[in-house]
Amino acid sequence: MLSADFVIATAIGYVGLLFVLAYFGDRRARSNKRSFLHSPAVYTLSISVYCTSWTFYGAVGNAARSGLEFLTIYLGPTLVFVGWWFLLRRLVRISHLQRITSVADLLSSRFGKSNRLAVLVTCIAVVGIAPYIALQLKAVTSSIQAVAGASEFGQGSLKGIDDVGLAFGIAAGMALFTILFGTRHVDAKEQHHGVVAAIAFEAVVKLTALVAVGIFVVYVGGGFEAIFAEGARLGVSVDAESTFDARWLTTLGLSVAAIVCLPRQFQVTVVENSDEAHLRVASWAFPAYMLLMSLFILPIAVFGLTKMPAGSNPDMFALTLPLAFGQDGLALFAFIGGFSSATSMIILESIALSIMVSNHILMPLILRFSAPGGDGRGVTSLVLFARRISIVLILSMGFFYFFFTRDSDALAPIGLISFTAIAQFFPAVIAALFWRDASLKAATAAIAAGFVFWMWCSFLPSFESVSPQVALLLSQGPWGISWLRPEAMFGLEGLDPLTHAAFWSISANVLILTTGSLLTSQSALERIQASVFVDVFRRGNVPSGNFVPGSATANDLYFVAERVLGETRAAALFETEARENGVDPDMIEPSPGFIGRLERELAGSIGAASAHVMLSKVVSGSDVSLEEMMQMADETQQVISYSQELEKTSAELRSTAQQLEDANSQLRELDSQKDEFLSQVSHEVRTPMTSIRSFSEILLEGDGIAPEKRQHFVSTIHQESLRLTKLLDEILDLSALERGERSWENQPVDAEAALDRALTVCEALLRQHGVAVEQGGRAQATMVEGDADRLCQVFINLISNAVKYNDAGSPVLRITSSVRAGAYTVDFADNGPGIARGERKLIFEKFARGQRGAVQQSGAGLGLAISRQIVTRMNGALDLVQGQLPGACFRVRLSVMR
Amino acid sequence: MLWLSTLGALLMLPPLVFVFNQRITHFGIPQIVFYLFAVWVLLIVGTALLAHAMPRDELPRDGDS
Repeated sequence: MLSADFVIATAIGYVGLLFVLAYFGDRRARSNKRSFLHSPAVYTLSISVYCTSWTFYGAVGNAARSGLEFLTIYLGPTLVFVGWWFLLRRLVRISHLQRITSVADLLSSRFGKSNRLAVLVTCIAVVGIAPYIALQLKAVTSSIQAVAGASEFGQGSLKGIDDVGLAFGIAAGMALFTILFGTRHVDAKEQHHGVVAAIAFEAVVKLTALVAVGIFVVYVGGGFEAIFAEGARLGVSVDAESTFDARWLTTLGLSVAAIVCLPRQFQVTVVENSDEAHLRVASWAFPAYMLLMSLFILPIAVFGLTKMPAGSNPDMFALTLPLAFGQDGLALFAFIGGFSSATSMIILESIALSIMVSNHILMPLILRFSAPGGDGRGVTSLVLFARRISIVLILSMGFFYFFFTRDSDALAPIGLISFTAIAQFFPAVIAALFWRDASLKAATAAIAAGFVFWMWCSFLPSFESVSPQVALLLSQGPWGISWLRPEAMFGLEGLDPLTHAAFWSISANVLILTTGSLLTSQSALERIQASVFVDVFRRGNVPSGNFVPGSATANDLYFVAERVLGETRAAALFETEARENGVDPDMIEPSPGFIGRLERELAGSIGAASAHVMLSKVVSGSDVSLEEMMQMADETQQVISYSQELEKTSAELRSTAQQLEDANSQLRELDSQKDEFLSQVSHEVRTPMTSIRSFSEILLEGDGIAPEKRQHFVSTIHQESLRLTKLLDEILDLSALERGERSWENQPVDAEAALDRALTVCEALLRQHGVAVEQGGRAQATMVEGDADRLCQVFINLISNAVKYNDAGSPVLRITSSVRAGAYTVDFADNGPGIARGERKLIFEKFARGQRGAVQQSGAGLGLAISRQIVTRMNGALDLVQGQLPGACFRVRLSVMR
Repeated sequence: MLWLSTLGALLMLPPLVFVFNQRITHFGIPQIVFYLFAVWVLLIVGTALLAHAMPRDELPRDGDS
C-alpha cells in the first residue's frame, strides 16, 4: 500500500526534477541556438500540453459515462492541425511579424491596437480558464486521495487535512514554481525555452504512464476482445445511437476553437514557435500523440466499469485499477503521469495568462499613471513584478472556483465550461486572419455578448450545487421570468446544458461580429492592421509604421526603450540602427520605420497596445488623426501610382531604345558594306589603271623603243582600258539593276533558244579550254517570261564560270534542262573543285570570288551578282545546288508561261 | 490541407458517421471505434505526406533574430 506521504514526497521530488530540467534547458537553449530544444520534436511535445489531467483522468471518466464522446476533444485539434497550412501557418507568420505575445495581443493588434479589446479578452480568459485550473487542482487532489485510500496508514500526515487544504497546497506550490521559472526575465519574443523543455519532458512522462496503464489493463483483461466482450455482457457499450448527436458536434467544435484560442496553446503553438517549419512536423506528430494518448482510454474505462465496485469514481480508473491489482509501482507511475499532465497545464496556462494580464491590464495602468519622464526605474522589473502578481491572481481564481464547486464529481464537464468561454475568441480570431472588413466595435461587442451568454448559461449553473439561489434561478429564472432560465434560454429546452450554452453564446457572437462589421466602419489604424493581417502572405514583410514622423528625438526614444528593454538591449537596438544608416548612435533620425521597429520590439515585451500607448506619449503628433492617416494613405497611393507610371514609361523607353539600337546596327552594317564595295571597286580599278599608266609613261619617254614593242604596249593599254570599261559597265549595270533603274519589259522568250545561243557564243572558249560539254537531257522549246538577251547573258556567265574555275584534268560541263511542275530549270554542273561550304552564300555577293579561283582568275567577281539580279527580275531564282558531278552546280529556275 | 480537414470533419460527423455506427465488431472491437481510429490514422498519414510535399517558403527574417 502506498502512503500519502510517500506519494507527496515523490511528487515534490518530481517537481524538483522539472526544476533542474527547466534550469538546464534554459541555459542550453540560450547558449546554443541549434540545440535539440529548438527541434520540431520538442515543439510537438510542448503542444501536447493540450493533454492535461482532463485527458489522463477525465477522458477515462468521460468514456465510462458517455462512451465515445471523449474522442471529440482530440479529433477537433486533429482537424486543425491537419489544416495547418490554412490556419496555423498564417497565425504563426503574423505573430512572428507583429511580435504577438498572446491571443489578446493578436486581437488587439488586428483591431487597431485597441487596449480595450485586449483588456476584455484578458478578463474573459482569466475568468474562463479558472474552471480549467480548478479541474487540474481537483484531479491532483483526487489522485492523491485515491492513492492514499481511506486507510489510517495510507493517510499519513494528510490526516486531518481535507481536499481543500490539499488543493491549496498544490496551487501554492504551482504558483511558486511558475514564478520561479516563468518570470525570470522578459524575453523579446516571450519564449520560455526552459519551461518548454520541462513541458516536453512531462509530455513524454504522461504518455508513457497512460500507455503503461493501458497495456497493463489489456494484459490483465485478456486483450481488447475480451474486455469489450465482458463490457458488452454487462451492458457497457460504446456504440450507442445517441453518441453522435448535437453534443458530439458541439464538443468537436469547441475543441477546434480551444486548440487555437486557449492561452497556453497559443503560447506553445504560436509564441514559442522558433521556426515555422516545425509546424510541418507538428501537423501530423501532434495528432499522432493524441491518438496514442486515447488508444487505451476506452479499454481502461470499459475494464474499470466491469471490474471496479459500483460507485467508484471512473475518473480515477487509471490510478485505482493498478492499485486494485496490487501494482503499487505502476500506480505510482500513473500518479506521476497524471501529476505531470496537471502541472504542465497549470504552469503554462498561468504563464500565458500572466503575460496577458500584465501586458494588457497592469502595464497600461502603470504607464498611464506614470509621467513620461518617470524616475527611470526599469520597466523590466515592473513587468516581472506584474507577472508574478498575475500568476498568484490566476491560481487563486482557479483555487476559489475549485473551492466553490468541489462537490461536482466529473472532471470533463468542468473543462468544457472553460472551452466554451475560450471559444468566444474563435470567431474574432478567424475574422482577424481572413476578413478584411471585421471591425473593432463589432469584435468587441461580439466577444462581450458571447461572454455574457457564457456567464449566464454555463458559468453560473456550475455553482448550482453550492448555492440554493443559483439552483432556484436555474429552475425558475430570474424574478420568475422563465424564458431567461440559464439552461433554457428563450424557452429552448431539451438540449443538454453544454450544447445550449455553446449554441446561444457562439450564435450571438457570430451574428454580432458579422452584422456589426458590415454596419460599422473601421478606423484608419484598423484598416492598416487589417490589410497587414489579411495580406500577410501577399505583401511579404512590410513593416507598417503607424507614427507620423513627429518631433520625437532619438534621446526620447532611447529613454523609452531603455526603460522597457533594459540598457543592454536598448543600446544594441540603437547601435544596429545607427550602423545600418551609417550614422552616430546619437544622431539617429527617428524615422517612421525606426519607430515602427521600436514599437514591435516593445510590443514583444509589453504587448502591442501598451507599446503603442507608450510611444504615443513620446512621439508628439502621434495621436494620429483620421485626416492625417488618410493623408498618409493618399500619399502612399500617389507614390505607388506615380511609380507605376514611371515603370510603364521606362518600359516604353526601353523598347524604343532597343529599336533605335537595332536600326543603328543595321545602318552600321550597310555603311561598312558600302565602304567595302568602294574599296573593292578601287582595287579592281587600280590594277588596269596602273598598267595603263606605266605603259603610257614608257611610251611618252621612249624614243629608242622598237616599233613591235611600241605596238605591244599600245595593245596592252587598249586591252586594259577595255577591261576597265567592261568593269565599269558591269558596276553600272549592277547598281542600275539593284536600284531597279534599268528595267525591261518581261516578254515571252524561248529559254531553250537562249541557252543554245549562249552555247554557240561560248563555243570558242570551251574549245580553247578543252572542256567537254555533255548534254544531260534537254527540254522542249519552252516559253518563259523574260528578256532574251539578258537570259543569254546569264547563261554565258554561268558557262564561262564553269570553264574558268575548272582545273580538272579532263574538264566536263554537263547542261541539263527540264520542265517540271510548271517550272523550267537549267542545271550547269561541272567536275571542278566545287565551292567550299563556307562560301556558298558569299559567292552571290559583289566582288566575291571563290577562294579556289581567286588566284588565277581576273574576273571582278560581279558576274554571279549580276546574274542573280537578272534572274530575280525575271521572277526566277539562281541557286547553287547539289549536282550530279563533283564540282559546283548552278540552277536557274524560271516559271513557264502558259 | 484544407480539403483533408474538411474530409476528416465530414467523415467524423453525422450523417456519414451513422453509416459505420453498427453493432458489429472487428477483431473484438466495436466497428465505430475501429472506424474513428482508422479515419484518425488516415488523417495523420495524409497530413504527413502532404506536409512533406508542401513548398517550403522563405521565412522573412526580422532584424535581430
